[in-house]
Amino acid sequence: MILAVCIEDRGGMLFHRRRLSRDRAVAADLLREAGEGRLWISPYSLPLFPEGAAALCPAEDFLERAGPGELCFVEDRPCALWAGKAERLILYRWNRRYPADLYFDIPLESWRLLERTEFPGSSHKLLTKEVYLP
Amino acid sequence: MKQIKQRAWALIFLLCLALSGCGLLPPEEPSYSYSLDEIPAYAGEPYVVLEDNQPDFPEEDQTSASFETYSPLDDLGRCGPAYANVGTDLMPTEERGSIGQVKPTGWHTVRYDCVDGQYLYNRCHLIGYQLTGENANEENLITGTRYMNVEGMLPFENMVADYVTETGNHVLYRVTPVFEGENLLASGVQMEAWSVEDSGEGICFNVYVYNVQPGVEIDYATGDSALAGDTGGGEEGTYILNTSSGKFHLPDCQGVASMKEENKQTYTGSREELIAQGYEPCGQCDP
Repeated sequence: MILAVCIEDRGGMLFHRRRLSRDRAVAADLLREAGEGRLWISPYSLPLFPEGAAALCPAEDFLERAGPGELCFVEDRPCALWAGKAERLILYRWNRRYPADLYFDIPLESWRLLERTEFPGSSHKLLTKEVYLP
Repeated sequence: MKQIKQRAWALIFLLCLALSGCGLLPPEEPSYSYSLDEIPAYAGEPYVVLEDNQPDFPEEDQTSASFETYSPLDDLGRCGPAYANVGTDLMPTEERGSIGQVKPTGWHTVRYDCVDGQYLYNRCHLIGYQLTGENANEENLITGTRYMNVEGMLPFENMVADYVTETGNHVLYRVTPVFEGENLLASGVQMEAWSVEDSGEGICFNVYVYNVQPGVEIDYATGDSALAGDTGGGEEGTYILNTSSGKFHLPDCQGVASMKEENKQTYTGSREELIAQGYEPCGQCDP
């Protein structure tokens, strides 16, 4: 599976069970990444995406259910447990600071940066997208 | 507790207004002095969560009508609570202008090498400019450390601003400066927020942000300051610093194993000294 996560400047993902930020441009990019395939998400993430988007597969156990090559967008839980199953990692950086109490927990030292791109968001001046391989 | 005090003061203020109208009492300004008893001492994190992170906004304000209110300055010239229902219609459409003409209570222009940008104090918007577009409003500006402004308040403002911009929803948002006694410098600010249209599902917090600056000692009565001397007293220990993230860890912390060698530095000394230097304790190993 391919893990996709949004993080703030210090790696934060969540504060008191709530997402730190959101941007329509990230949701659109995730759907583009999924293409004709599936985009596995937690039910919590559903409101971020256009209603009825064909790729969306919301499920509480989405990380267990995602198959090889399928994209998983993680917002509300730790990721380290799933690092061994991940074939690729996509990090979206908000390039801003937010309060956080849940942090991205996969050490990037053991991953190789494949590409880094920047694009404007709808509410963020500049978003950074990084793709890593194990 | 503080909210009860706020309301009590508001009631006293209204009572005074009513009575002064009858010529019985001279008009009085509201006073906002709070007990800090319930708030733990600063321990290396810029903020602490209050009341299980639940804010308390009156039901009648939970509507999709934007508003913003600022308290009149008290008789010492200090700000009171700033309160808004933030919607996109309140957000600024142009860059912020100069605010240098406002001198909030406790203001000093003072610089330290250990402070990011050197200036100890910022004119801190209670309700951030990005939320309501208030520029040089003296009822919305307090003297705050660089650390409180950037590390403490800004991340919460960012979260609210993004949410309102992306959803078009409203967020009830209140920032209350907390002054001890007749101090001219606030000890900190209480920040509360709650998203209206989704009943707090998107935004919900109640935190106290410390008006401190690591490495600098502050006299809150006047705003005078001095470089922290030997903070001493702390027990010596060995810690691993991450010079990139600004965090410090216990040597056996999982985070140390994944740290880049060039960012790793071993330190022997007191925890307090590290915090004074601007380092923050790791949230996982809690050194």
